[in-house]
Amino acid sequence: MRTLPECSVVIVGGGLASGLVARQLARQGVQTVVLERGGDNRDGAAGKIPTQRDELRWDTRLGLMQDAARETYTLRRSRDAAAQPMRRLSAFLPGTGVGGAGNHWGGQVWRWADYNMALRTRLETRYGRGAIPAEMPVQDWGVTYDELEPYHDLFERLFGVSGQAGNLRGQILAGGNPFEAPRRNPYPQAPLEATEAGLMFKETVEREFGYKPFPSPAANSSGPYVNPDGMHLGACQYCGHCDRFICEANAKGAPDVLLYPWLARQPGFELRTHSHVTGLDYDPVAKRVRGVKYLDLVTSEEVCQPGGAVVLAGFTLTNTRLLLGGGIGRPYDPVSGGGVVGKNFCYQANSGISMFFRDRWLNPFLAAGSTSTIIDEFNDDNFDHTGLGFFGGGYIGVGVTSGRPIAARRLPPRTPRWGSAWKQANADWYAHSCAIGVQGSCYPHRENYLDLDPDHTDAFGQPLLRLNFDWRDNEAKVSAYCTDRAHRIARAMGATQIGPVVSRASPFDTRYYQGSHVTGGTIMGADPATSVVSPRLQHWDAENLFVVGASVFAHNAGHNPTGPIGALALRLGDDLARYSSQPGRLS
Amino acid sequence: MSSNSDPAPDRREFLRQAATVAGILALPAAARAAGAPAAQTPADESAAGGAGWLCFSPDEAAWVERLVDVLCPADELTPRGVDCGLAFFFDRQLAGAYGRGERLYLQGPWRPAIPEDGYQLPLTPEAYFKVGLKAAEEAARARHQRGFADLGAAEADAFLQLLAAGQLKTPHVNLAHWFDELVYPLFQQACFSDPIHGGNHDRVFWKMIGYPGLPAVNGLNMVKYRGKPFPGAKTPRSIEDFS
Repeated sequence: MRTLPECSVVIVGGGLASGLVARQLARQGVQTVVLERGGDNRDGAAGKIPTQRDELRWDTRLGLMQDAARETYTLRRSRDAAAQPMRRLSAFLPGTGVGGAGNHWGGQVWRWADYNMALRTRLETRYGRGAIPAEMPVQDWGVTYDELEPYHDLFERLFGVSGQAGNLRGQILAGGNPFEAPRRNPYPQAPLEATEAGLMFKETVEREFGYKPFPSPAANSSGPYVNPDGMHLGACQYCGHCDRFICEANAKGAPDVLLYPWLARQPGFELRTHSHVTGLDYDPVAKRVRGVKYLDLVTSEEVCQPGGAVVLAGFTLTNTRLLLGGGIGRPYDPVSGGGVVGKNFCYQANSGISMFFRDRWLNPFLAAGSTSTIIDEFNDDNFDHTGLGFFGGGYIGVGVTSGRPIAARRLPPRTPRWGSAWKQANADWYAHSCAIGVQGSCYPHRENYLDLDPDHTDAFGQPLLRLNFDWRDNEAKVSAYCTDRAHRIARAMGATQIGPVVSRASPFDTRYYQGSHVTGGTIMGADPATSVVSPRLQHWDAENLFVVGASVFAHNAGHNPTGPIGALALRLGDDLARYSSQPGRLS
Repeated sequence: MSSNSDPAPDRREFLRQAATVAGILALPAAARAAGAPAAQTPADESAAGGAGWLCFSPDEAAWVERLVDVLCPADELTPRGVDCGLAFFFDRQLAGAYGRGERLYLQGPWRPAIPEDGYQLPLTPEAYFKVGLKAAEEAARARHQRGFADLGAAEADAFLQLLAAGQLKTPHVNLAHWFDELVYPLFQQACFSDPIHGGNHDRVFWKMIGYPGLPAVNGLNMVKYRGKPFPGAKTPRSIEDFS
């Protein structure tokens, strides 16, 4: 193994969180190396017309995603079962290459309700100290929304987010989300145009239920935009090839558009692609990480990159896998409830109901990744849970984000699966159908956690990460409750046909995409006994090791995770600049 | 689910003979399906997306052609499946990266699984397709004393209904699983993917549903055609139109 000269900061992963950390470091002149396992896809077939518009290649066959033949995950739903590998990645889709999942995301950028960072305190205050079940280890994050607010603001400006403010410095504004945490500034750009289905949803929920619908905050650029770094976004063309695709029009806030091209011009910044990280060189006595070991995929050479500080900013699950593989921190033990690494793995209890409107032209191909119209009345703790028997909730909305015809066609229940009647149903309903969806929260459960699989390895001979996960009682109830609310709205919208109505329940089904919003495993907190990293994202057992991404979330809300990831990453960049000049435990 | 594309009675015999003729594999699928002698058939490649089989034997090709003509019978919406390029799409996908197991984790250990665990067989899609096809063919012969490719349209349709419903038991291939996890997704992809992949010939399925295809630059259309019929939906364009 060749050992390189030390650099100030080494970051594992070349995605969104990494790019934001590096951006703050570059502005403060701190030398940074980013190690990315994939290549740069932007100038390839994925980022150019006409090949960009190939649904089979990029969506069905997942051309931009992590290659499951090289690395996947195993799953078991209980500790007495044998784990099975997810031989195809379907339920959630990690990215690979410069920009990571941030180059093929749909672009929803949320600020979670401010109580989320102190969820245990919130629930105990509202429902009593004994209200939280013993098997639900919800925790406060050790950080407040107010500390993150300036970084949310910066992230939204860097990514040119389009949206309608709902809470401007405490003032509730019409047309926005009245449940959003207070913001110092409006969104940098006006909201996206709504879809026809979104307008129908808005009109119905206002008239029939008195809810407050609003356009999803979107990193799909509603107009031409120049960010604070002088980086440009084009105007969104509503092409319907957004999530799972690279935006060839540079109209999606993406790290490979806004961050890495800017970073490439900064002195002291280096991006190494095709660098597959295999481990951390950890000194358990000194409680420091000496460096990051990686395989140069172009030369097959093993390399160690020493760093004054090391940041784990890979996909959520990668961060946990590297800590478990390196023996850094105590692995979580579901029997005793002790240990921390792998703890509080959460997913999202998402569901959807198809709706068919014979006389309305919904044109699903006129869409962007975040053209969704949403209500937040039933999300998280925005409503009273007294007597409901569960905690959490979800947003409910009509999101028309693609008319791609392999996957986006909807057929009414009892349609034959083939033949002329099947074809006729496709012809009848393609342009006249949509779905009402729920993005449901997932709170931690004692038995939902991550560890290393004892039997299965990746292409490099290293153990796969094992997901110990199923829909537990709480999430099944959240999903049933929110899906029922969505069903009531669907009926009020006057759909010609509806259905089927199915909420999430055990067994967790790995075959169907349910969102890529997995969280936890390296959670943050103020107590080393119950968290992996400190409120400053500094590892409790390695002073110069930091972790960022959704892996530090102590639970998952009913909102997409990218907003809090962005805020935490930008704050970490500032903290690391401080650490580089004055190492030690950050407070 | 009627069909006006019953196979010619002598079709299998033709294929059996034709398979011995050099160059048969270069014949367009539509020409073979029509049962016409090679010498009398102009090589009309535009009829079915392409020519020649990379993956299928002549018998397998005949089986798949029967399959796609049942799944997609000719009617006022589209020509029959073969003429839409659907069998050609199956062949190209199974012969290519997908069929060979790209992005599929094929390391052991292997254990019995529940359906919710997803695909758990140590077979590439190409190998599984052929194993299933052979088992299904045996089931057809046991039930009808004829091969699947020689069944009439109604018989073949009824056979597939039973197969998909899990009512055809074979010694060790789960045919309903084979159909649901492999055959049916390929069928939908064959119909609705971009024609550059060999199916959806002449964008016929895009026209059927009104998907406009490329270029999908809708900055102005988003508002102009919100809630209204979209003119471009009648004349969809594909990747090849922009290449």
